[in-house]
Amino acid sequence: MEAHEWMINYTRQTEWIDRRGIFLWIAFYAGGLGGGLYLVSLYFNSLWGMFISWLIIAVIKGGAHLLYLGKPLRFWRIIFRPNTSWLARGIIFVFTFIVFTAIQLAFSYWLPGSSGEIVFKTLGGIAALAVMVYTGFVLNSVKSVPFWNSTLLPLLFVLCGILGGFGLSVIIALNGGNVPLSAAETGSRWLLVINALFIVVYLWTAANREATGKKSVMEQMRGNLAPVFWIGIVLLGIVIPLIIAFTSLITGGVSSALLITGVVCEVIGGLALRYCVLKAGAYKPLVANVH
Amino acid sequence: MRWGMVVDLSSCMRCYACIAACRIEHFLPMGMSWPRLVALETSGDSPTVSTYSVRCNQCKEAPCVEVCPTGATQKRDDGIVWVDQDKCVGCRYCVVACPYQNRTFLSRDKDKGFFPGIVQTDFEKAGKKLYSHQIGTTEKCNFCAERIDAGLAQGLKPGKDREATPACVNTCPARALTFGDLDDPDSEISRLIRERKGFQLHPEYDTDPSVYFIDGKIGQADTTSIAENSKQEPTPVGAEQ
Repeated sequence: MEAHEWMINYTRQTEWIDRRGIFLWIAFYAGGLGGGLYLVSLYFNSLWGMFISWLIIAVIKGGAHLLYLGKPLRFWRIIFRPNTSWLARGIIFVFTFIVFTAIQLAFSYWLPGSSGEIVFKTLGGIAALAVMVYTGFVLNSVKSVPFWNSTLLPLLFVLCGILGGFGLSVIIALNGGNVPLSAAETGSRWLLVINALFIVVYLWTAANREATGKKSVMEQMRGNLAPVFWIGIVLLGIVIPLIIAFTSLITGGVSSALLITGVVCEVIGGLALRYCVLKAGAYKPLVANVH
Repeated sequence: MRWGMVVDLSSCMRCYACIAACRIEHFLPMGMSWPRLVALETSGDSPTVSTYSVRCNQCKEAPCVEVCPTGATQKRDDGIVWVDQDKCVGCRYCVVACPYQNRTFLSRDKDKGFFPGIVQTDFEKAGKKLYSHQIGTTEKCNFCAERIDAGLAQGLKPGKDREATPACVNTCPARALTFGDLDDPDSEISRLIRERKGFQLHPEYDTDPSVYFIDGKIGQADTTSIAENSKQEPTPVGAEQ
């Protein structure tokens, strides 16, 4: 028997980040990254980008979701309650994306310029946006975790996903994948600045929401999550990519190795952001008026 | 009809009998407990102690039912929220969404056996046949729905007849737990809630729990005089501490 101290203090959620919960963390990030890359690839009309985004969502995100489930063989049941459950809606979006994009890739490869390609590019784009945004709503719907219970969260995840998409498109451009490097760099640069500002706004609003929200923010800035926040999100996710991006802007270009380093840092930053959001989510004490 | 429970916080003596009774009734694995005890104590010369016997609140507006993507978590007409373990995929959305943290994901390490690697007791063998728990799914208190159903089929009244009443209520030696119909204004629990200012945990979530608490010394909204007497920060205590 134990005193169940966890119920009288601010308690962070563990199921969606600890132990096998890391698969859900990877799945959530892969959804944002894959969806972002698809939208950016649509903009640049990069077949390679679209194909890689399909792989990220179908293989990495889908696989991570299956590995996370307690009963993976029953995964098909997860789509049965889209009327109330954001998780059910999300998995439907993922299936839709996989199917529409596979058809679109086939059209783009064998019948480029056909009306079928245009239709499925549109449908794929809508599905990609839905895949990016739903994870934010999954967390946002949890009323008991004030740090997540914000309408800004889905937007933050979308911005983070598009930033990752621009980052990967830089790598595709460096490997001759039909993406203009300067445009990919410009997009990356703008998204980095917007993302950084949005993270600040999100943390500020969360800290002012209620005591538990403030606790979650302080946990990231000064608590056990501080190394992940300051090194992962701030240094690797924002500062280093920004330095590289503006060095490239001022000097007119930097080495490919440096650009790739910046993209890797961006991806690590995106992973760190999702990690902190999941790990810092905390409940109020079970019994009110205690603290 | 809506089944509910009242926990008299002034009577609970932290004997853990409700927890033991539930384990026996449902053959619960050692790593999981459906009801739990939360003890709070203010420091100082004359400490105030409150012990909360908590379990699934069988919320009227249950977030777990809403978020479940498979429909495994369902609400019956009598208000009892239950999990169809054959439908549960183990996504744990319900565990995360429960504001009261009263759901448990049964992972392999929570069901190692009473004497891991040595012997499987007859109790465990019987449990595997009579009340199997599926690893990889979510579980929670169901107000002993199977007892209620069997009792009602025999014409018994839950809350009055032991055979139709949850095991934890039957076993409580201090009579701190009362079970009955919340929709019946003449039932004992409706009277207790009305006369002794019954309160729910975290009403701000609009979940409308079916478990009420009365006579709380810590945590009750309507305890102005008590709060004045115990201004120190409360600290947790448990039977072992």
